[in-house]
Amino acid sequence: MGERLPPMQPDDDLEELMVGYQQGNSEAAAALIERVSPMLHRYFMVQVVSRRFAGDLLQETWLRIHEGRNTYRPGEPVLPWLYAIARHVRVDGYRKVQRVESRERQVETLPEAGPPPPDGRAPDLQAMLENLPESQREVIVMLKVSGMSLEEVARATSSSVGSVKQKAHRAYEKLRGLLEGFTRTGQGRAT
Amino acid sequence: MMDGDVDDILKRAASAPHEVDREAIKRASDLILPALKPVRPLPSTGVVALTLQVIFVVVAILGATALGNNGIRVLNKLQALLIFAALGVSARLASVAAASEMVPAHPKRIAPPVLLAGATGLFVLVFGVLFYDYRLDRFVREGLSCVGAGLVYAGMAGLLIWLVLRRGYILDPAAAGLAAGTLAGLTGLGMLELHCPILKSLHLMVWHTAVIPLSALGGYLAGRMVHDLGIKRKAAEFMQ
Repeated sequence: MGERLPPMQPDDDLEELMVGYQQGNSEAAAALIERVSPMLHRYFMVQVVSRRFAGDLLQETWLRIHEGRNTYRPGEPVLPWLYAIARHVRVDGYRKVQRVESRERQVETLPEAGPPPPDGRAPDLQAMLENLPESQREVIVMLKVSGMSLEEVARATSSSVGSVKQKAHRAYEKLRGLLEGFTRTGQGRAT
Repeated sequence: MMDGDVDDILKRAASAPHEVDREAIKRASDLILPALKPVRPLPSTGVVALTLQVIFVVVAILGATALGNNGIRVLNKLQALLIFAALGVSARLASVAAASEMVPAHPKRIAPPVLLAGATGLFVLVFGVLFYDYRLDRFVREGLSCVGAGLVYAGMAGLLIWLVLRRGYILDPAAAGLAAGTLAGLTGLGMLELHCPILKSLHLMVWHTAVIPLSALGGYLAGRMVHDLGIKRKAAEFMQ
């Protein structure tokens, strides 16, 4: 089912693909799906509440993107528009699951955040972000994985630039503390 | 450890290959691509807001024409100027707020709850400053009649506003309902200002102004209902 894909970088021609998609160009639509899906999938994977259903949420997001594609305005950045929809799919998905599982007591056990691997290997983003609150995790994914600007993240999350900055700052503080803790533990073990 | 170090580690982590659910991508492609049709992008927020303002003006004028333009005749120039300027500004802000809800990630200039509080407060203030007749005779009877008429026209405006809003893709139906309900309430109030000849301060401050929050509440509840029904429907689909 799963396939390792190269990391996705935001590209300038996403707007072009989106306009092609609006005009009914199936090649542009297919290219857009291929390009954006890994980012969106990763967004669902780093959120604890959506991880179990990341594949379903990705599919649901594309259906909603398709339904609302006329509301994208050419010239506007594509990623905030896409992420705003994905974010609502995630929230709705959480409520939907709550309804379905209302009689079950769901206890989500958070795995411990892992230390960064030795030099040369990329650390696991999902494990690194485990200890952050969902809202901070969301901001970090949009900023660092999708390469969105503070303004774009603010638009996607319906919040202010100040609020996004504050969340990113708090996330960095927490990550710094965790990473320093790992470094100290590693050094202690070494001596 | 500095922020730059955390940044480097995050960048390395973000650039690592990510395992994607290819099945989900294929399912999405299979659903979308075969039935792909061109769509016309939504007009700009300014154009949509202008359309909503036209609804506001037309419904208010038609309503007052149907019931009688008795209110505008008894207002002096200053009263008419201030009341209709306040209505124009509030309706403009409400139109932009409602139009903004139609597009995901559209920057929000004014949050719908702030809009509602601002518009309601503004009219309490305007009526309080302009009118000094504090008599309370027939307060409830006259008031209920005005609120009823205002809400009927607010409801009509609300339906027309909804016809415009449904062309967009609303992510937060409750917020959109609140903004649309506020605009519809302003339409009802506009109709009352053209129609109602009662210039008692408390009648205006309580009953005329009440059309705005009551209509906004209706819009909010309608939006919530639409949202909840959508979630219930999806939960039912999920369980099948």
